[in-house]
Amino acid sequence: MSTTTTTTPRAATPPSSLAASSKFKTFVTTFSIAGPVVYCLVQYFNYPLITFHPATERLVWGYEAARSGEGPNMLWYGWTATTILTAAALGIIAMMLPERISRKLPLALVWIFPILAIPYIIYSLMPWWVLAAK
Amino acid sequence: MMGLISTNTFWTIWLFVHLILAVGLLGALTHQAVAVAMPAHRAAGGIVTRFRAVPAAGYATAVCVLWVLTFIVGSFIYTKYRIYIRIPLEQTGYYKTGGFFDFKEHVATLGLVLLPAYWYFWKNAQNPEYDNARKGVTLVLAVMCWFLFIVGHVLNNARGFAS
Repeated sequence: MSTTTTTTPRAATPPSSLAASSKFKTFVTTFSIAGPVVYCLVQYFNYPLITFHPATERLVWGYEAARSGEGPNMLWYGWTATTILTAAALGIIAMMLPERISRKLPLALVWIFPILAIPYIIYSLMPWWVLAAK
Repeated sequence: MMGLISTNTFWTIWLFVHLILAVGLLGALTHQAVAVAMPAHRAAGGIVTRFRAVPAAGYATAVCVLWVLTFIVGSFIYTKYRIYIRIPLEQTGYYKTGGFFDFKEHVATLGLVLLPAYWYFWKNAQNPEYDNARKGVTLVLAVMCWFLFIVGHVLNNARGFAS
């Protein structure tokens, strides 16, 4: 027995009210386009929203270097939080722009920017690769 | 909870939860990526055709939820990784392994920020305006997910369960 179910994306159900909103489209595309760029900048300039010290389970606002005798610090949580808040703020700003401007945002940037971020990420991990090469 | 089971068991259970969520995410994203890259118009046929013939749009919300849950559980485990896994890895000269784990954490965040647009493109799957962007972002997320899974697997082999 053979079935003839069409499985292309076009067969999907109509979008919900949120997914049909042009303002929401502007927000999500701006958020996702800005996200990888903001993350690279946040990591490069080291702007974590918080710093976590796992050995002492101490959480502080902003950046704090590892303290002597208290183990390492963790910045990734803070970088991620800064990125999400900044990208969300940019998304909200983009929503305020006239639609004729926001429509010009190339949607392909959503998947191009994360690919372009990878070489920078690899470069930023250079201390690991240098140690591995020794 | 910590009184009933040992600390080691507690974290091993969370590592298993992370693994199970990751397997679900990997399966859903791989199905979707193959369906979007090589769409099949008939569900019948061999196993490869059937693999391609899934209703891909139906996976979008599940993928977003699984990515976020895997991310949250991974972030929770990460606190112990930093002390009990990474430091011994550095002391024993496993620098490439440590470096790839840091690479993994960055890729996980890059994937996380793509989810809102990914979800929107799939919820508007009937709109041809989003076809290319939807295909691109789905394939990027699938490659990211495979990378995250493989690095996590290798790291677990180096120093993971019960260590």
